[in-house]
Amino acid sequence: MNLAASAPFEGTARPLRRVFEDIAVGDEIGPLFKGPLTTAHLMRWSAAMENWHKIHYDLPFATGHDKLPGLLINGSLKQQFLAQLLKDWAGREGWLWKLRFQFRAMNLVGETLSVWGKVTALREAAEYGLVDLDLGIRNEAGLESTPGAAIVALPFRDGPAVPYPFMAPTG
Amino acid sequence: MSTLLTDEIRGYIGLRSEAITACDGVEPGAVRRYAQAIMDDDPDYAPGAGNARHRGPVAPPLYPSFMFRRPFGEPDPLTEHARDPDFDGLSLGAGDGLPELPLPGLAMLNAGSEVEFFRYARHGETVIQRSHYADIYERVSKSGPMLLVVTETEYRAADGDLLLRVRKTAIRR
Repeated sequence: MNLAASAPFEGTARPLRRVFEDIAVGDEIGPLFKGPLTTAHLMRWSAAMENWHKIHYDLPFATGHDKLPGLLINGSLKQQFLAQLLKDWAGREGWLWKLRFQFRAMNLVGETLSVWGKVTALREAAEYGLVDLDLGIRNEAGLESTPGAAIVALPFRDGPAVPYPFMAPTG
Repeated sequence: MSTLLTDEIRGYIGLRSEAITACDGVEPGAVRRYAQAIMDDDPDYAPGAGNARHRGPVAPPLYPSFMFRRPFGEPDPLTEHARDPDFDGLSLGAGDGLPELPLPGLAMLNAGSEVEFFRYARHGETVIQRSHYADIYERVSKSGPMLLVVTETEYRAADGDLLLRVRKTAIRR
């Protein structure tokens, strides 16, 4: 059954099947919104990953010692949001293969982040299609903090699911 | 001419760490806390998840790279530095096992990461990491020469399956 046309979603935002032929250069994906991100969110993430870098929860240390403008949203948390956007967009038969990003600007506590993607190129491998995307994380003021790029593998309409574990295209 | 990329530094290219096993396996409770902290309620992360592709519940995509915590018996950095006003709280956990480059006095800046995903870690699996210096090269910026240090880490399940490959580039100047 081809579910791509109506793209029904399971759970939060995950299509059961997204196919390569339905994608065009210029398509936008997301945005995935996260926030407003409070100190409690950052403390919860610090606890979950057991890293206690004070610039994320100790305001006197962040501003007084490290001379930062405020408490910073963890880069380690922001990269999770990029992965979530792409994993969910790939659907249950596609696969997020490559994710590249840079932390170019700070995001401060209290901001709401908008995680976005845009299709830049389409290529066909033997067993599946490859979708190149530009990515970013933007705050309410329009600041782009985390430019990146990704490659997502999607099944062909009449083809099988992308191999799992994933096998990178040869050549 | 190069001023930072000496033969000694060049000799680190290709140097590999020992394999390091994460101190805990992929624990359902730890996965739940992690998934809730990143606010990704994907049903595939929950115990009893029925996604046939994964053959059981899995952890979020980047989870294996965050599993290398401080094992039992290792010194507690928070207590060790409790009276140090300059301690920033940063915890390296188990680290990557690679020797430091002999670049005293050079600052380190994160210049970006590239992650390749191959499969997700299943609940109950053990994860093993191994790193190497993939490349070290020099660039000249307005402020002078700098080294770009590319470290590659592979995360594998105990059955040998490659889960993730992470390449991080650090600027040293």
